[in-house]
Amino acid sequence: MSASFNRSLSHLVIKELTTMPRYFADSPESIVPDALAGFAAAHADLVSHHPDHGYLRARGGSPERRVGLVSGGGSGHEPLHAGFVGAGMLDAACPGRIFASPHNRQIFEASRAVAGPDGVLHIVKNYTGDRINFGIAAERLAHEHIPCARVLVDDDLATDSEDIAVGRRGTGATLIVEKILGAAADEGRGLDELTALGAEVTRRARSLAVASAAHTAPGSGSPAFELPDGVLEFGVGIHGERADGTTPAVPLTRLVTAMTERLLAALPDGSRRVLALVNGLGATTSLELYGIHHAFTKALEGSGVTLDRSLTGTFVSALDMRGFSLSLLATDDELLRLWDAPARTPAWPR
Amino acid sequence: MPTTPDPHHLTYDSTAAWLLRFAATAESVEPELTALDQRAGDGDFGTNLTGGMAGVRRALETLSDAPAADRGSPAVPLATAARVFLDDVGGTSGPLFGLLLQELAAAVAANPATAGTRELAAGTTAGAAAIQRVGEAEVGDKTLVDALVPAARALTACAQDTEPGQALHRAAVAAHQGARSTTDLRARRGRASYTGDHARGVPDPGAMAIALLFASYDDALSALNHLP
Repeated sequence: MSASFNRSLSHLVIKELTTMPRYFADSPESIVPDALAGFAAAHADLVSHHPDHGYLRARGGSPERRVGLVSGGGSGHEPLHAGFVGAGMLDAACPGRIFASPHNRQIFEASRAVAGPDGVLHIVKNYTGDRINFGIAAERLAHEHIPCARVLVDDDLATDSEDIAVGRRGTGATLIVEKILGAAADEGRGLDELTALGAEVTRRARSLAVASAAHTAPGSGSPAFELPDGVLEFGVGIHGERADGTTPAVPLTRLVTAMTERLLAALPDGSRRVLALVNGLGATTSLELYGIHHAFTKALEGSGVTLDRSLTGTFVSALDMRGFSLSLLATDDELLRLWDAPARTPAWPR
Repeated sequence: MPTTPDPHHLTYDSTAAWLLRFAATAESVEPELTALDQRAGDGDFGTNLTGGMAGVRRALETLSDAPAADRGSPAVPLATAARVFLDDVGGTSGPLFGLLLQELAAAVAANPATAGTRELAAGTTAGAAAIQRVGEAEVGDKTLVDALVPAARALTACAQDTEPGQALHRAAVAAHQGARSTTDLRARRGRASYTGDHARGVPDPGAMAIALLFASYDDALSALNHLP
């Protein structure tokens, strides 16, 4: 009797332990709305929140701007995109639910609100849901005679394959695109010019990511996938989707050197100058990220390219995934000037 | 009181009745659409369509309370339905339906007093184009495009003086044929593409719903004609 009672009780306790949510939230459903309300309050000087229409909008900004910049995507990638709403970067961001595209209505309303005399430019990470919802919003804007164009960010080298009909995913380089386009928009450039610039930045940027542990799924509280000890997921995405391969965990310098070689080989031919981005995927410590930065800059020096600029931090995350991505942009003087232009947003680190 | 139906031109009453009939039809076949979508997609299409059309019915009832003179053109019910589907319906197929309704509304609004078969053809063609732009689907990908493109062709092939009821009947027949042709296809776009061969042997529920949309005008018109 008592043995079976104890066994069932311990089963119960073990079940509770293993399903205990790791996230600090009232419920999985409240994570995003509560965070948005808190974000808006914490950065009330920089952004305003429009909960009825589901977007965040920059306060102030350059009077020269003729095109509104709107981005958005699933939540769980913070500080992207809301953290980059503000002077010198995005005019509005539309957060979806965790890892889910925003609804077209959010994008449509945000675009209408921030469109300039030359319309609105959508910065879209290449995912089917985002493409469709931004596309529907664009059709609606056309009916209101608001010019609208799109820059599709597709920098992920791991999904660069002819077998993948939907193309490369959009990941870490989204930050680079948002920064450079923000500075260019502040100079009063028109919609066509900005669209072409965005396509050019995207063409020059590639990223690659590894993870040592998956993110915790907010609903179940368990990891999105299991990785054995001593194994890294190589080419991981930012939604907990599996990579097409794993790699034994080698010392960091070797890992980063191999990633750097692949990134450099994927840049446009003749790229001799680069901007380097080290990005944490959520649960990687700042201590580790700077170690990665060190390995990255050494690998770049060793390969003979000139490191024009670099940036390290957690910018495009995947909830609490333990991992990092490296991005390279083939630079020139003009892109560097735009990168260096001042910006003031909740998460832009300069 | 509805005005006397005019067989040659669309009126506020005829487009409103069309949509209300479609709402009723969608509701009656929701279990079947859901069953199809559970085999060929993610199972939410029937609910999204019925929920959207229930919203359209509520919006049209509010409009119909207004005096006849204030209701406006035959484009108004279509634009109202477009807004409901674009703003309030989740998933992907619902808002894509909204794009078709938005184009139909715009085409009818261009010639509200004389809108007929020509405007329906233009709106359906533009709707198919918008949905293809956004969804990047071609005919044969097992999506609602497989019903919509033949419907647009059938409408365009009608002589300009064809009564809208007759033209939409032909569109419904073409859309139905197109929807049935999706049965043996393997999905390449849309949510059904993730289910691979499981979706074989099942027609695409979005395509079937397009056929029902065009067929509903016929039913609605005969109902209007039988009003006392």
